[in-house]
Amino acid sequence: MTSGQPEFVTITIDGREHQVLSGEMLITAAEDSGTYIPRFCWHPRMTPVGMCRVCIVEVDTGRGPALIPACMNPVSDGMVVATQSDVTKKAQEAVLEFLLANHPLDCPVCDKGGECPLQDQALSHGPGESRFVEIKRNYEKPIPISDLVLLDRERCILCDRCTRFSREISGDPLIEFFDRGNKTQVNTFPDHPFASYFSGNTVQLCPVGALTAGPYRFRARPWDLLKVVSSSLFDTAHPRIEVHASQNEIVRYTGVDNDATNHGWLSDKARFGFEYIHSEDRLGAPLVRRKGVYEATDWAEAIDVAADRLGLIRDESGGDALAVIGGAHGTNEDAYALSKFARVALGTNNVDCRLGDSLSSHFLAGTVDRATIGQLDDADTILVWGPDLKEEHPTLYLRVRRAAQELGAELVVVHPRATGLDDVAFRKLTYRPGEGFDLVQALDDGRYPDVIEALDADNVVALIGIASHADGPHVAEAVAALVRARRGRSDLLPLNSRANTYGALDMGLAPDLLPGRVGVSQEGVGRLRDHWGEVPSVPGRDTAGILEGLISGEIRGLLLVGADPVRDFPIPALAEEALEAAEWVVAIDLFITDSTRHAEVILPAETFTEKEGTVTNVEGRVQKLNNIRPGPGQTRPDWAMLDDLAHRIGAPLGLSSAEAISKEISTVAPAYVGVSWDLLEWEARDGVVVPLEGESQLAHIPVAVATDGKRENGLSLHVARTMYDDGVRLRHSPSLSRLALGPVVLVNPLDATALDAVPGDSLRLVTVSGEGRFEMVVDEGTPAGTVYVPFNQPGATALGIDSAVEAEVADA
Amino acid sequence: MSHWSESTQERAREIIDLYPQKRSAVMPLLYLAMAEEGHLTETGMEEVARWCEITPAQVLSVASFYTMYKRERTGKYLISCCTSISCMLLGGDEVMHAVEDESGVPHGETDEEGLLSVEHAECIGACGGAPAVQVNYELIEGVTPDKARDLVTWLKKARPVVVNTDEMQELFGGRRSFDWAIPETDGAIGPFPAFQPLGTVESEGGE
Repeated sequence: MTSGQPEFVTITIDGREHQVLSGEMLITAAEDSGTYIPRFCWHPRMTPVGMCRVCIVEVDTGRGPALIPACMNPVSDGMVVATQSDVTKKAQEAVLEFLLANHPLDCPVCDKGGECPLQDQALSHGPGESRFVEIKRNYEKPIPISDLVLLDRERCILCDRCTRFSREISGDPLIEFFDRGNKTQVNTFPDHPFASYFSGNTVQLCPVGALTAGPYRFRARPWDLLKVVSSSLFDTAHPRIEVHASQNEIVRYTGVDNDATNHGWLSDKARFGFEYIHSEDRLGAPLVRRKGVYEATDWAEAIDVAADRLGLIRDESGGDALAVIGGAHGTNEDAYALSKFARVALGTNNVDCRLGDSLSSHFLAGTVDRATIGQLDDADTILVWGPDLKEEHPTLYLRVRRAAQELGAELVVVHPRATGLDDVAFRKLTYRPGEGFDLVQALDDGRYPDVIEALDADNVVALIGIASHADGPHVAEAVAALVRARRGRSDLLPLNSRANTYGALDMGLAPDLLPGRVGVSQEGVGRLRDHWGEVPSVPGRDTAGILEGLISGEIRGLLLVGADPVRDFPIPALAEEALEAAEWVVAIDLFITDSTRHAEVILPAETFTEKEGTVTNVEGRVQKLNNIRPGPGQTRPDWAMLDDLAHRIGAPLGLSSAEAISKEISTVAPAYVGVSWDLLEWEARDGVVVPLEGESQLAHIPVAVATDGKRENGLSLHVARTMYDDGVRLRHSPSLSRLALGPVVLVNPLDATALDAVPGDSLRLVTVSGEGRFEMVVDEGTPAGTVYVPFNQPGATALGIDSAVEAEVADA
Repeated sequence: MSHWSESTQERAREIIDLYPQKRSAVMPLLYLAMAEEGHLTETGMEEVARWCEITPAQVLSVASFYTMYKRERTGKYLISCCTSISCMLLGGDEVMHAVEDESGVPHGETDEEGLLSVEHAECIGACGGAPAVQVNYELIEGVTPDKARDLVTWLKKARPVVVNTDEMQELFGGRRSFDWAIPETDGAIGPFPAFQPLGTVESEGGE
């Protein structure tokens, strides 16, 4: 559009005049004016293709009435549309009769039956009966086109929605039309399954029951489902979802179209990540270890046992001998309760929701020029310097892909190896892991003039995170400084794993943060005095510091909240040693994990489908989660357990309900003033971006720049997260856990030759902090000189954060 | 990591250089893949996908639309009998049956020896000389069922290195649609005349 002012034209639909936006497609203009035109192939988030023909309507543009597809024709002034005329009806009925010529009428056993656009529109716009007596097409069915999606080609009406999605939206066109003509079918290439991280979206898109999801097949009838809107905690953007439950059991999530975040799309992890909720391994009662064995007990006893020892340590050694790790997977209300519990009841600032693989807390929480996700749409240049968004931030991946592919943003991607966005990037820079800082300096010195020119655009959005475990947080901060120093306006989106890290930081779950993005200081503590009383005003230890303190004995007691440092901390051996050395560990978790098995008391927690609360996403958007089922057994929300523990310790927190906590947050946390549940449930259903304070409360001190050991010879180790790993929730979700890569190392063909290894060989990798055997995969996306080991894979040993690695073929 | 011979790869590079986008080269590269292995295999299509930087599914989507991309093993001589309307009215079906009967190869199949493949084709643009038959896409017009049997026998016995329209028309053809056509002395070779300038097929001198 040339000018900012929208232009309107007048069209007549079924005898009534409407003012509609110029240039809009007739199908949307009609819908906005209250007239529904049937559709199968048309989808508001994808390019119109005019494949299904059911939206044909009689239109007169001054040259006499003619039948045209409403999805392919923009409105023009004076257009006269007849959606109910005999001609239109006859045409639409004919199209439906044709679409049903081959469609099997197995609706009673079809997952889609009851929510099927073909079923619904055959009723509303169809002829009622068919003249076809011929035998319908027969195909083998269903065939799995991916690990999660099954295809029934007999039901398919060839609308091009799934294939278009894979082509336009997710960028992995592994399904296509084959045998075009009378026998057109959708399928995959032999032995190249639809292995997309976004394959589940095609199930939701499919206007018939041709694509069905393995985890949902034959589990429920749509009309029996109880539904509630919530947000996914498998994605840092918190895509909006609808949670569907049948008989108190979650059977699926569907994406909710939301302009602000996900546009209705979900990664398969966010779509199918519900099986852990019903895992048989979930804890349903508090556990107390007696004589080395866990015994189920009641809450009163578990609270007494857990709290008495924590109180004893506090009385003997002071709050500095206690620590809290975790809180990034829950709600803001629980995070606030945990933050308050640590400060008020335990008397410590040794609290961290990050697990040692993260940017500095002040950089994450205190970036005043933080971008919103929506700004990606208007950006001239987008810089992605951090994790592979496709693996770790799927919603951002789709939004950046769209901005680069559809909206004309120039995309610069910097990462140690190939990423999912390379094909739409105008420039891709690859560096050896651990040498990120050198690349920043090279950019600063003008080594890549095209990149600098792109960064000098008027409107730059930079997504910055830790690309490789070998890169310290200082690389990200140097990138931020580089971007900020350029000519135009720049906004930053600091990236972090674990879905509610931002919410947790905003609630003060960092050694140097208090609720509301306030630093730990005399002044900050003073502001909280009315609600929290006297709390320590000196910053505490971060997770690495806490683990070291546990090993040295300076820290005696630890509370683990939904954290699994033994699997999730970049140097797991250190975490294992620390938990082993700890005198007293209390855990709040869903499962017994490699970490919580070190606890003396484990308190059973609730998942996000079982409690209410708010969460804050990567851009600072607060959204409301809603519960749909009770937690199993004796599970309780975190805040209630923490309140009981505090009571027993003798420092009550005064928490009475999650909603009351949210009110307390909006009183004490400056950024959250006015963000109430009422607001989020009624006026701001897509959430609100909490304002960043005008005067930055957080005087950000850049972390010290470590000089990277530049290595001329030898291999460099790149460790990064993948979508499917051995995380606690995934491990208990059978459909997803089998998709994890396992213990593999990806090696460039040249390096494979140099190592004298062939695919399938085992490589022994040795670093300063670990060694292990990995199955070698030859991969051209990994540059020569770098070997890539996906982090936290089932059966894999961790190799730490150092980039130096020795590799050799392991004996069979 | 290419499975193709060095010369095929060189030709692939030349073809790709002709287009602003690599994916545009998918159709000529499919002919290359076919020339390399005799027909289109999954490996061949995967190779084309790599060269064009698209997915194998996208390559197959193109390849499965066009009947001239053969995804099954095809004989040395491919006999295509037109059965579209003009040829059908003038006895195309009988010609087709005669070819099938004489060769013992039904539509869409190849004999065991790998000598003959038979297919019925949609309109091959020779309505004026119906019924028409092609051998390796070289046209013969005005074919009768008897002449068609002779054609099959000749192919089996003579096994010409190169088949040529003018020669076959002389031996087995009848009335032509364009009698004034300039005699084709060189003849195009094999199924790929359009791409001969690109070097995707061997020239007449070759085997």
